[in-house]
Amino acid sequence: MTGAGATAGRNLPGRTGARRRTARWIELACCGAAGLALLVLVLLIGAVLWKGAGAVRPAFLWQPSTDAGVGGGVRYQLVGTVWMTACAAALVVPLALAVALVATQFAGQRLASLARSGLQLLNAVPSILFGLFGFVVFVHGLGWGKSWLTGSVLLAWMILPTVSVTLSEAMEAVPREVTDAARALGLSRGRCAWQVVVPHSLHGLWRGLLLGVARAAGETAPLLFTAVVFSGATVPNGIRNEPVLALPYHVFVLSQDSYDPAAETAAWGAALALLGVVLLMLTLALPLRRRAFEEARG
Amino acid sequence: MTRSSVSQALSGRPTGHDRLDVCVRSGAWLGFSAFAASLLGLTSFLVIKSAPAWRAHGAELVSGSMWHYPTESFGALAMTFGTISVTVCALLLATPFAVATATVVSEVMPGRLAALARTGLELLVGIPSVVFGLIGILFLVPAVRGIFGSPSGETLLTGSLLLAVMILPTVASLSESALRSVPLELRLAARALGLTRAETTLQVLAASWRGQISAVLLGVGRALGETIAVFLVIGRADGRLPTSLADIPTSLLRAGQTLTTKLGGSEVAIAYGSTGTHEAALIALAAILFAMVALVVVLGNRLRRRGLGMGEVVQ
Repeated sequence: MTGAGATAGRNLPGRTGARRRTARWIELACCGAAGLALLVLVLLIGAVLWKGAGAVRPAFLWQPSTDAGVGGGVRYQLVGTVWMTACAAALVVPLALAVALVATQFAGQRLASLARSGLQLLNAVPSILFGLFGFVVFVHGLGWGKSWLTGSVLLAWMILPTVSVTLSEAMEAVPREVTDAARALGLSRGRCAWQVVVPHSLHGLWRGLLLGVARAAGETAPLLFTAVVFSGATVPNGIRNEPVLALPYHVFVLSQDSYDPAAETAAWGAALALLGVVLLMLTLALPLRRRAFEEARG
Repeated sequence: MTRSSVSQALSGRPTGHDRLDVCVRSGAWLGFSAFAASLLGLTSFLVIKSAPAWRAHGAELVSGSMWHYPTESFGALAMTFGTISVTVCALLLATPFAVATATVVSEVMPGRLAALARTGLELLVGIPSVVFGLIGILFLVPAVRGIFGSPSGETLLTGSLLLAVMILPTVASLSESALRSVPLELRLAARALGLTRAETTLQVLAASWRGQISAVLLGVGRALGETIAVFLVIGRADGRLPTSLADIPTSLLRAGQTLTTKLGGSEVAIAYGSTGTHEAALIALAAILFAMVALVVVLGNRLRRRGLGMGEVVQ
């Protein structure tokens, strides 16, 4: 019986035994590859935590750095990063609101899809190109010099797609019935957009802003020639020719001196501080992902 | 109601002058035009500012392999080779792992664990590249030195290994959302027809092929433009081209340069205000890079079904 079944099975096109074996192998390979990938990623984060924890003393965050960044803490690096990203966030809010309102409320279909493509394109622009543009146009062309203002403008420009797209998605999730009702009650288009759509999609603005700021805080490339120095700056005192220190640039410079063990330790500490800032923003953005109407719709 | 007030109501205009309406609309259009102008400004910057270099060197700028600014010889081929080889290697390394991860997260893991893994991937996408660069310098460079016997450990291969790790969460996250958008009915039907779990998963992968290709292309877009992490591990040596096709594998074990690492280097500051075409040539490199990225990303977004296309992974 078993013999006959096996022979008959071998002659059928879909041989069950072989199929099961293949399936087993595929499953094994797939899970193995996924496990390996997740393991590598977890190990990387573990490495930063492990190495960074050795460098971060309680005072690390509020002491200024000494001895060319090797001693002390990261006080002014933190100040520079927070200041630049906060200004970038302040700059990007009105712009993102405008872009999202036009793309979802005011523009016709063709312009709206053009705006989407534009946002996707801007989102894909390599960050070093913003740095190059800023260096040629803002730093020299407009004479702003190496300054936090240049950095903030570039960062705001860079995160505009992130914020606009997240906000547009929240705006698109506002049910048609709500806006129809508002318009039927006699609200003008602009009034309906401002008083109905915007309040209902604020969670999208917050989420986009947090995601964007997390990205801006970690960027080095656009700031290299435009906004940051490694030492000698404290709190900005003006808008032109006022470079600042910044955490990512600090890590960038220190990592190139990493043959010096003290520099390596300082680099890990600064990297951990940076990672802390970025992950805090990203984690804050998580619960904002699905809200109100989106949740109701599943 | 008089006739005029009815038509007024129908046209959606409340009686009287609605100042808020005018403010909101004009403000929005103003901001929108600023966005449009900035995009236009960026592209025209790349075109106009690189024009002198194209006029002086022509196609040599793309096909030339020498880059030596004191003698005004500018050829981008070695850097384009660096960019493409690093990206392709990273992709070949990362894609199988990324798709496998996506498959396990979407098809195998129970709901709660899958949500956790998805969140984890999204957080990983947001890790700053300079942190990856530091990890690369301190772990990967010595490893490559030890395993492949390259004297410095700073090679094209090191760059691609690092990039592979960096784009893995991006590709996995996008691929996972493509898998998740396949209707449950397809899986149920496949299982009901007697397909094994593995075969069902292959069907789901096949059904989401557009999303999978899009995930890979958007990963390529990120890899092409990555600067800081690659900058720190690639060695930044100019003019290294393989002598023949057979030389490509060994050339991966030598130091190299990509378009982005060139633009991130000190030459930008040197070039500014120089009398020759140095600055224009550097901006031409940026234009070449922009063209490559735009091509890949526009194609990648075309293939995505979802509205705005970058909802899950905004980087």
